[in-house]
Amino acid sequence: MSDHHSAGESPAVNLDKLVQRLDDAIESLEQSRPFAKAGKLPRLLDIARRVLLQPDGCRIIEERSERLENAGLYQGTDWANPKILLPSLTPQSLGSTNADTVVIEVISELRFLAIARELYLHPTVSAEQARHHLTQVLAVNLGLLFGLTGEAERKQGRLAVVSQSAVQYLAEHIGYEHVLDSLIEEIWRILQQRPIQVEDVRRMITQIALCRADPDADLGGAGRGADRLISSLYGPTRASSEDPGTVVYEQRLATLDAQALQNEATGFARSMHDTGLVSPYHATFLRFALEHQTSVLPEALGLSSTGKDCLICYQELVYALIRDGVFPETAQGIYGLALMLERGILYQPPVAPGLWRQLNLTLCEPAKERLQLAFGYQPAPSVWLIQGVLNMLGQPLGVGQGNNPTCQSARALSMWAYNDPDYLLQMVAWAARDNEVIIHFEGRPVSSAHSLGGVASEVTLDLDPVSLIVVPHLDRIYAEMGRMVADRQGDPHQWVNPEFHGWASGRGFAINVDVATGKLHDLEGFIRHFYASYHPFYNGNQPLVHPQPAGVAVTDRAARFVGWHAITILRVALDPEGEMRVYFFNPNNDSGQHWGNDVEVSTAGHGEHFGESSLPFEQFTSRLYIFHYDPLERGEPANVTDEELQRVVGRVYRTWGADRLPSEELQAEPPGGS
Amino acid sequence: MSEHEYNPDKGYVALLGWSLNAVEAADKFDRRYVVVAPDWAEAYCKEHDIPYVPWNFERLNDRSVEIAQTLQDMGVDVAIPLFEETVEWAGAINSVLMDKPRLFGQAMLLRDKALMKRRAQLGGIRVGIFEEAHDKDDVIRFLKRVNQTLLKLDGDPNDPIHLKAFDKAGCLGHRVIRTPDEIDSIPDEEFPVLMESHLDGWEFAVEAWIHNGKIAFLNISEYVTLGYSVFVPATPDLEKYREQIRGEIEKLIKTFDIDFGLIHPEYFVTSDGTMYFGEVAYRPPGFKVFELLERAYGFNAYQAMIMCFDPKTTEEEVKAFFPKEVEDAKGYAGCFGVYPRRRVVSRLEMPEETENHDYFESHELTPPMEETVTKRTAFGTHWGLVYFFGDDPYVMRDLLKHQEELDFYV
Repeated sequence: MSDHHSAGESPAVNLDKLVQRLDDAIESLEQSRPFAKAGKLPRLLDIARRVLLQPDGCRIIEERSERLENAGLYQGTDWANPKILLPSLTPQSLGSTNADTVVIEVISELRFLAIARELYLHPTVSAEQARHHLTQVLAVNLGLLFGLTGEAERKQGRLAVVSQSAVQYLAEHIGYEHVLDSLIEEIWRILQQRPIQVEDVRRMITQIALCRADPDADLGGAGRGADRLISSLYGPTRASSEDPGTVVYEQRLATLDAQALQNEATGFARSMHDTGLVSPYHATFLRFALEHQTSVLPEALGLSSTGKDCLICYQELVYALIRDGVFPETAQGIYGLALMLERGILYQPPVAPGLWRQLNLTLCEPAKERLQLAFGYQPAPSVWLIQGVLNMLGQPLGVGQGNNPTCQSARALSMWAYNDPDYLLQMVAWAARDNEVIIHFEGRPVSSAHSLGGVASEVTLDLDPVSLIVVPHLDRIYAEMGRMVADRQGDPHQWVNPEFHGWASGRGFAINVDVATGKLHDLEGFIRHFYASYHPFYNGNQPLVHPQPAGVAVTDRAARFVGWHAITILRVALDPEGEMRVYFFNPNNDSGQHWGNDVEVSTAGHGEHFGESSLPFEQFTSRLYIFHYDPLERGEPANVTDEELQRVVGRVYRTWGADRLPSEELQAEPPGGS
Repeated sequence: MSEHEYNPDKGYVALLGWSLNAVEAADKFDRRYVVVAPDWAEAYCKEHDIPYVPWNFERLNDRSVEIAQTLQDMGVDVAIPLFEETVEWAGAINSVLMDKPRLFGQAMLLRDKALMKRRAQLGGIRVGIFEEAHDKDDVIRFLKRVNQTLLKLDGDPNDPIHLKAFDKAGCLGHRVIRTPDEIDSIPDEEFPVLMESHLDGWEFAVEAWIHNGKIAFLNISEYVTLGYSVFVPATPDLEKYREQIRGEIEKLIKTFDIDFGLIHPEYFVTSDGTMYFGEVAYRPPGFKVFELLERAYGFNAYQAMIMCFDPKTTEEEVKAFFPKEVEDAKGYAGCFGVYPRRRVVSRLEMPEETENHDYFESHELTPPMEETVTKRTAFGTHWGLVYFFGDDPYVMRDLLKHQEELDFYV
């Protein structure tokens, strides 16, 4: 080996050549037949990895985002559908020891950046959504961002450089200070909707707390607004302010005098009602108070006179619920308990006995396993389920579908918790104890145990305890009902919705899309009818009695059709500014969505209760495609003015209805015109 | 989905065996094609709309005519073998499709290394000393005789002999034997084998596309170390023999009566410039030489093969298809087969000097599945290939050689 003049030393990388190779690899993927694309990926991913190791690598990849996606890089993977990508999963993929996983995740995040910077007009993701996604990605990867590396990064070797430089590149372009500040804003925005599931929020707050506690992380002025959030979890009161740990805190409680305990109680309640988050210390405090000083309990729950009254009437039940359901791990249940007492639903005769049954419920093995899988072994599965029940009854509009296509089931749970709480308790008992739920469809029993399968192939674990247990059953029943009407003409929701959600859903059914062709059908009649049924000015000033299932055509910020979605119409009322709005529940986990064409769903500031979404009546109607009504209580369709009608029609035509015009209307009026 | 469009004036070809790269090349080419492969390929072909006929290539038997009949009924003009195991099938099928019974005999000849060497010898082609062995005793005798011939005394280090399976591709079952002790390590089920004397020379391979009995394109693949590395085109040191090599290939074409297709022979050239024939295969070479050729010249070697097999192909098309040998190459493309050098490995780690080398293109190495590396018997199979491309054949050669000293698995 005397004559190798070039092979021995480690030459500097020729970036131009490397980029040329990258382009060649992309081209070869582009030109490849779909069935052979997989074979071209290893080369492309490896070259991309080497590019990413270079100082300018992220920019080079970002510029090629659109080409890479169109060439089929993501084909056959979850990354192919960027809308479903969860920011909370990125720490795993960015920390993977598998180079291909890291590289494809990084390329995908750089794609989001290209979309956010409007370098890439993506067919399904808007710039706003991309920015939002990246903020969350940065939030859960603050460690990488601020260079706090650990064992995982060590194991990755040089690969860690790829993840780290990518996250830092993202932050540079999204804005470092914005990351923390907009993250904090984001957390507040989510908390304003008072979701039951706050795991992600807790994780983000913990990340911020860790970064702030680390002397090496340079945050600049960012993150100051996080104090309230951090303290709500880690030290909401005088005696817990330095986060001493629950054991020390409990010992400390024994030494406090009555006044100090009173202060603690007030501190907890204020923090909880302020943020919707509950500190584990709060649970320790309640358990202590239960043993030593029950008089502070109403204060510690922050109850109004209604809640207090309810607590006194059902004192034994409430104590039992605390004793069996409130532990530091399940502290979030305290918020549910407080709100449940405030709602006064315990005064409905079947509810209190239903809760007693819940307290003594023996869980079947599959239910226990699911709860343990999701929440761990401590405390017992039944405790988690009690927490879940408390939260659902207290925050019926805080139900979320998680990462599952089960909006129907989530909506049903929310509707029952809101409107029919003892029925919900019955469902939980059937699912958790018997592992079988039976709902009748037109007189025929439909069992979840004998169904072929649900809409979702597998229900994920990112759900609250009640959904975790009940949704798989409901989903199967819902799908089974769908199968039972498969041979009928028309939209299946017409029959399934009332049977599935309960007698309170209207038997009248209106839809503005022809199922067979997908084209709009009698849009004007549909709109007039909706106004006449729901709008107080056209229905004789009749407020909505029962929440009603409805279907909306969800559009993205660019007003492009995204999909059909199940929601609940809760009420129609004037907002503080005197505008008529529809208040509705969206089982989607985050309801603050921009639907394009200046339709922006509001979750706060327009008279919404916690968990409600709202839109001006006209805007809401322009996204509606299904609603139910009581055929015997119809208003006057003729009274809707043509002007108002045409405004709604125009909004439909400009957005999701653009390519659904029936042919005769297309001739009469071209899309876009109104 | 297949977006395939074909020219009805050109032939209809059947690809024998499953090779994704070959299928893709055919799908992008202008001939109608069908894949003939075992039934495990069916789901994939259905899903992707790839024309497919199921067939399990076991040994030829009474039912063999069925596949020929099926293809003939479909209007297929020619069958193209993609793997060593489908060479005799292609011969059998083509003898029916083209009504040329000799094609079957030709294929059988090309499938048996011992028969092949005798035929070459009859054609006046120089081969080394060889013999068939049926058991271990035959091997001992041959080893002794070869070394006696070389006038070695007892105690002198033996010249090695090579053992090869009759009907396997490339390095599979290839062993080098130096001492009688090593013979014991050969499992009985490997017999019978072909034994060859060792030739101290420079081994290289040729890929020759043949149309109407003439060489349409001749590539010389230079081996840096047999079983480790190869690159195309060869260095000027080897290319200087091109005319001589062309003559050898023409002899081979005549001796084996080859009219069309692709042959892949191996030769030794000794220091005095004498060429020894090693063996010849009637199928694409291993070690991704087709991919290297595409990188170096830009033409798809599978498409070239389809074209040369297609009886409806015209002289003009062939002429227009191929670039000019060596001159038209954009550079030198090589690859290196990685074998782990340590007995225990835990992860794949590309040496930085390789990864940062200007010539380095990409690799197909995967993380190790097991920590312990099984000891190599015979030549074995590499764990994956590393690809290089650059302007200087000597830098390429030395770079490939140097890779042998590096650890890719640690």
